[in-house]
This record gives sequence, structure tokens and C-alpha cells, in this order.
Amino acid sequence: MIRYIGKRMMAIIPIVFIATLVTFALIHISPVDPAEAYLTAAHIYPTPELLEQKRHEFGLDRPLFEQYLNTLQRMARFDFGTSYLTNQPVWNEVKARLPATVELAAWSMLFSALVSIPLGVLAAVYRNSWIDLLSRAISYFGASIPQFWLGYLLIFFFSVRLDLLPVEGRGDWQNLILPTVTLSLVLIAVYTRMLRTSVLEQLQESYVQYARTRGIRERSIMLKHVLKIAIAPLITGMGMNMGKLLTGTIIVEQVFSWPGFGRYFVEAIFNRDIPVIQCYIFFAACLFIVCNLIVDLIQTAMDPRILAKGRAEH
Amino acid sequence: MFNIHRKAAALLGGLLLSIALVGCSGSGDQSADAGSASNASTSAKSITMSWPRDIGTMNPHTYNPSQLFAQSMLYEPLVSYGKDGKLEPALAESWDISEDGKTYTFKLRQNVKFSDGTDFNAVIVKKNFDAVLKHRDTHSWLGMVGLIDQTEVVDDMTFRMTLTEPYYPVLQDLSVVRPFRFLGEAGFPDNGDTSEGVKEAVGTGPWTLAEYKQDEYAVFKRNPNYWGTAPAIDEVTVKIIPDAETRVAAFEKGDLDLIYGEGVISLDAFKQLQENEKYVSKLSDPVGTRNLLLNSSNPKLADVRVRTALHQGFNKKAMVEGVTLGLEEPADTILSKNYPYTNVDLKAVEYDAARSQALLDEAGWVLPAGAAVREKDGQKLEFELIFDKTDPIQKAMAETIQAEWSGLGVKVNLTGLELTVQIKRLKANDFDLYFWYNYGAPYDPHSFVNVVASPGFGISETLSAIPMKSELDDMVHEVLSSTDEAKRQELYGSILEILQEQSAIVPISYIKKTAVYQPKITDFVFPANRDENPFTGLTTETP
Repeated sequence: MIRYIGKRMMAIIPIVFIATLVTFALIHISPVDPAEAYLTAAHIYPTPELLEQKRHEFGLDRPLFEQYLNTLQRMARFDFGTSYLTNQPVWNEVKARLPATVELAAWSMLFSALVSIPLGVLAAVYRNSWIDLLSRAISYFGASIPQFWLGYLLIFFFSVRLDLLPVEGRGDWQNLILPTVTLSLVLIAVYTRMLRTSVLEQLQESYVQYARTRGIRERSIMLKHVLKIAIAPLITGMGMNMGKLLTGTIIVEQVFSWPGFGRYFVEAIFNRDIPVIQCYIFFAACLFIVCNLIVDLIQTAMDPRILAKGRAEH
Repeated sequence: MFNIHRKAAALLGGLLLSIALVGCSGSGDQSADAGSASNASTSAKSITMSWPRDIGTMNPHTYNPSQLFAQSMLYEPLVSYGKDGKLEPALAESWDISEDGKTYTFKLRQNVKFSDGTDFNAVIVKKNFDAVLKHRDTHSWLGMVGLIDQTEVVDDMTFRMTLTEPYYPVLQDLSVVRPFRFLGEAGFPDNGDTSEGVKEAVGTGPWTLAEYKQDEYAVFKRNPNYWGTAPAIDEVTVKIIPDAETRVAAFEKGDLDLIYGEGVISLDAFKQLQENEKYVSKLSDPVGTRNLLLNSSNPKLADVRVRTALHQGFNKKAMVEGVTLGLEEPADTILSKNYPYTNVDLKAVEYDAARSQALLDEAGWVLPAGAAVREKDGQKLEFELIFDKTDPIQKAMAETIQAEWSGLGVKVNLTGLELTVQIKRLKANDFDLYFWYNYGAPYDPHSFVNVVASPGFGISETLSAIPMKSELDDMVHEVLSSTDEAKRQELYGSILEILQEQSAIVPISYIKKTAVYQPKITDFVFPANRDENPFTGLTTETP
């Protein structure tokens, strides 16, 4: 098992390598010069002397290969350099903003699980009943509404009209409600339908018939047998989305003034703050790999046949 | 087997919960802060404003990400920029300019203390100048920086600065928000180099930074040691709200007392709030001009008749009012009259499509039978107009101009670009038509005429084919070094007149700052300096 985890973790190295190479190439293909972007953002007119000075300061006047090599060397030491914009170590800047994003992502994941699991199961068990229709309505709505618009609608009704919840900012649990709901709705839409389909499939299986003939109560069949197998695709989905949530709450952070990582990253893109962009890519690549690994471990724990199959192949 | 499943479920649940808890850790102390921030608007002597970006580091000598309005709350200049460009004493009580215009001697204000109680004097002024001049390149955009020969402490309260050549806008340059403002001794790092950061935000200004949470909010309290008239309010909370629609929602809910700035809310939202009787809204005097450059270095635009035809060939008034919903004012001159030396009479170019057609015919650009675009020597009268694709006003104006000029037989191709790419093309003189803004107060008119004569900013290039370009350049050099006030006024008058007649820089509209506020704010005055904070003239109801 440990060997398996170790092997999977080693995959981070080539993936990060490729990710940084692609990012590096894309940044340098872009017609925008980071030194110029820096000066524009500072409302300073980019004179040729100033540009030259800034390029030198950022190390952009060195050969491309040397720049890339330096980046790799730094990253290998977990040194992400200094932000062009703020002149602070990138890692400190990221560290300060990460908890807010993690908080929002985790609550959204938890909330979407708490809603979609019962809703998905009930929709399958009581097929074509009102609850199934409700789940379908939520799914259509959640999958089709743009997130920023949903955010505005929620703010308009719950904060401005009804005056129940704060409009924006991070503080206590009340501040969490609207952004969590906004982020969760699209997840709930997908998970509910996924679970419904999966439960319906399992209900056709022969083991369910046997259990029924053995006289086991429906509720037991559902909770102890069907759900445990039917939930597998949901866990995969959640694992994939966890990485996405942790790196991609950008729109929601913007709408709700949530002081997270996404907002910081978007600003870095506009300012061509290369060290920040590179740190983000590194972080995102690692995160996706780790999330996938966790999903696989959970799947393996739930269904040991997966590991056995893997061993047999080697 | 069930055991394994249970473990797996517990593992997943535990993982999610622990992530949620990790995320929450540290938020306990924040809730108290955020509470105090949001309560601010309920107490009558404090106000809450929103700002799109974090206020940044409170360093008076550096630029981005520090926000100008916040820097101006803590740090003060020697000379301040008042209404209509009147230069008023601030930390300098008076000043003396030598006959040759090269030596400036400042008598500093007595009994000024920094917010930490230390004295303001010539020694600390010199220390700040030295810190700024250590990085001349960084500040070279400001005309006077390159000309400072030496700075000296004459006595405790007298500071002298000598220039290598006369440059009249020194006092205006000193009034800008950065870099020439003054940090107290306690703020300097050990090596004195403030470009690396400051230890403490200690200034002489009316405010001190009391509480700050990055990306969330900042609370400013009145500086108890302030030398001047104390502000009428005790506390200003600045909430960082990056999204314009959210800002409006927070204002409507009553979380914000004031939305202030340029382009901080959408035109529609401003209109909607303006029409709501519950709120008060105000527009400032012009802070800058939106111009359209007609690049004369393009042979088709080298003829003044073609430029004039284009200038006259669109209904500016209807376009500006229609696109900006009255937030901007149609502009007749490149610089509005509220800068020093710009209050001169210039003949406005009036909309006259028939005259435009005639001028184009006269210039040899004729419409072949059945064609939509004018031609001359086998070439079509066709231009590219580049605009900032994130700016809805530029886009709408570009489309209007395209439609109106097509009626004249002029084809315009629109290219939306990212701002940085746009500026790059401006500098490289790689454009036909370009939306350009002047710098505004306190930078103009001298910064504007400077780019008229200096290549590399796109303006000198735009004007390069006008017949009196070298004469214009000479006038610019003369006006910037002239020590005679009357002569200066005369020169500015001539420069502006030539530019007006040549139509290479077409004024479109005057940009204004907006302020929308709750009625608890009883008086609001826009600062004359575009970058200053608006809290000096602000009063609220007494509780």
C-alpha cells in the first residue's frame, strides 16, 4: 500500500514539470511584457529606461532557457520567488489567502454531499414522484444557471430585500451561507443525478432481489448494500471537484468579496505576475494528483478488488 | 467487509470535516473584527466606503499595489493642489524661488508632528528626498526627478532644493501623492531604503491606519497629533469589494455609506441609484479628457482636411450622452478649463456632416459610383480603431464612430485589445485611431505638453506630420523652463490653439468622478487632486 502511494506521489514530478513548461511557454508567447504590465498597473508610463530596469529586476533579460532553469531550481526547493507586484514572497501571499478558499471549498463539498445524497437516493427510490421531479428541477436549474448570476440573485433576495444575510466579506457563519450555496448548487445538480442513476442500476442487480427474498427490510438493503456500491461514482466526482473547488472558486470569490486564492490569482494573470502564476500551477497540479490519489484510496478501501486487480496486472 | 466500508466512509467524512475546520481556524478572531467593520456605518461619526482593491502597503514612496487615496490619508506633501490648480501651502508654510528658477527654498510649517509624536523638520524632509532619489529611475516619469541637483537642510525648519535647469512645474510635481510625501523616522528601515518596505506607517496626515485585514477591510482613525483642521468624522472604514454589482448591493443594504471613484460602478447602476430619492449622487468637475488620436504619421491622416472632416463628422454630443448616460460631458477642448493656464478661449469644432463630406472631396477622397468607401489614387479611406476590450464605454463609442463615419464614406475596422497590448501599440506608433486620456490634475497641463514634444508616448508621433511640429516642440521646451508667468500663459495659449486647429487629438468627453452616498453624509466635496482621498470636506449628521 505504502509503495503504491509512493509510486503515485512520484507522478507529481513529471506532471509538474510538464505543467511548468507549458505555463512558461504560454507566458512568453503572450504579447504582454510583464515589466510593462507592472508599470501599467502602477499608473507609471513605461519609458524604455524604466522597462529595461524592471526587466532586469525581474530577471527577464536573461536567456529563456536560463530563466526556465532558474524557475525549476527554485521550485525544487519549494521557493516560489517574490511577487513582482507586491515584492513579498509568493508563498507567504498564497498562505495568507489559502485558508479562506479551503474553508469555502470544504463547506461547499460538505453541503453538496449532505443535500445530494439523500435527494439522489430518494429520487431513485420514489421514481417519478414529486421528490424526483424536484430533484430534476434543481438539477436543470443548477446545471444551467451561471454562477455569478446565481450569486447576484441570492444577494439581491436574501441580503438586500430580506436583509437576512450579509452581502459580502468573510467573517462568521452567516457570511458563509450564500457563497456556499452558490458554489454547491452546480455540484448538487450533478451529484443528485449521478447518484439517482447509480442507485437505479444497483436496484436491478440480483443481490437486491436475493436480499428481498431473504426478507431484509428495504431500508437496510438501501443503506447497507445498495448505497455503498452506488456511491462510488459520486466519490470519484467529489475528488475531482475538490481540486477544482480549491483552485477555481474565482467567480464566487469575486462576487462575494471572499478574500481567497482565486481572486489573487486572477489579478496575478492580469498583471503578468509570473512567480504567482507559476506557484499556482504548481499548487494546482499537486492538488489534483493528491485528490485523485485520495479518491483511489477510498475506492480501494471500499472495493478491495481494485487493488487486487492492480496487483495481478504487475 | 462492512468494516472496511465504514472506515472508508469515516475517512471521507473526517477528511471533509477536518478541511472545513482547518479553513475555519483563525476565523474566530476575524468575526469580531468584521463585526466592528460592519457596525461602523451605524455610528454617525464614522463612515464606510468600498474600494475595488486592497489598500496595499502604506509606503509613501512606492507605487502598485498601494492605493493612492489611502496613501494620501496618511502622508502629506509640501505643497497641495487646490481648486482650479491653485497651489497651497501644506507642510511648507511658504517658499521662495530664485530668479533663475533653479533654487527652491521651503520654509517648513512649525509645530507639525508625525502620528507617533515625533517632530517634522528639515532633516526628515531631506531623509525622505534621499530615499526617493536613491531610485531616480523608478520615479523618472515625474519631470522634476531627473532635474534635482541637490537637496540640503538650511536650518531646522528650512529645506532647499537645487535643480540643474529651471523647470516651472516643480510645485505641481511636489503635490502629487507619490513619491514626494513624508514618512516619519520610525517608519524607515535600518538602511534607509524605503523601496524595500517601511517599518511603520507614520505620517503627518489627518488619518492613521488603525486596523487592517488584507483583501478584506481597513479602518482609519483620526490622527490625534494632526496639525491642521481635524476631519469632521472620527473613523473611515474601507471595505474591499472587487465586484461592482456587489458594491451596489452592499450600498443598497446600507452596509456602505459611500461609493466613490472613477468607474467604480456601472453606468446603469449609477443611473438607477441617482434616480432613487433615498440616496444622494454627485459628479465631480472634469478630472480628465477622453480623446481620440488621429495619427498624422499615417499618410491618409496627414492632411488636416481629412482630420477636420473626421472631427466634424460625428455627433459628439449625442454619442457622449447616449453612451455615458450623462456621466461624462461632451468635450470641446483637449484640456478642460480647470487646470492652471488652460482657461483660454478656443474655437470648438462643431458637428457638420455636410461640411465633412465637402472637405473629404476637397482633399481628393472621392466616392466612386456605387461604392461605400471613398478612394484616392487607388487607396481606400480605411482605418483601424483600437480600443480596450474590457471598457464598455470605449467599445460603444468605437461602434458609434464606425457607424457615423461609414455615412461619410470612411471605413473603420474595430480591434479590441487588452490594455497592456494597446499601450504597447501606442508606444510603437502602430495605430491609426486610438482612445487616449490625459493625466488630469495635478499632472496637467505640463505632463500633457511634455508628451506632445517627447517621442515614445504616442502623442508626439500622432502629431509628427502636422506642419508646425518643430515650432510646437520649441514652445513646449520654452514653457516648461520659463520663469515668467505671463509668458507661460501666452505659450500655453498658443500650444493649445495649434492643437485645436490641427484636430490630430480629438476631444470627446470629460471624465468625471462619481460619488453616491447615504443621506447621513451632509456634505461631500471632491478633491481637486485626482488621486487624493475625499474625506477632508466630508461631514455627517451629528448623532
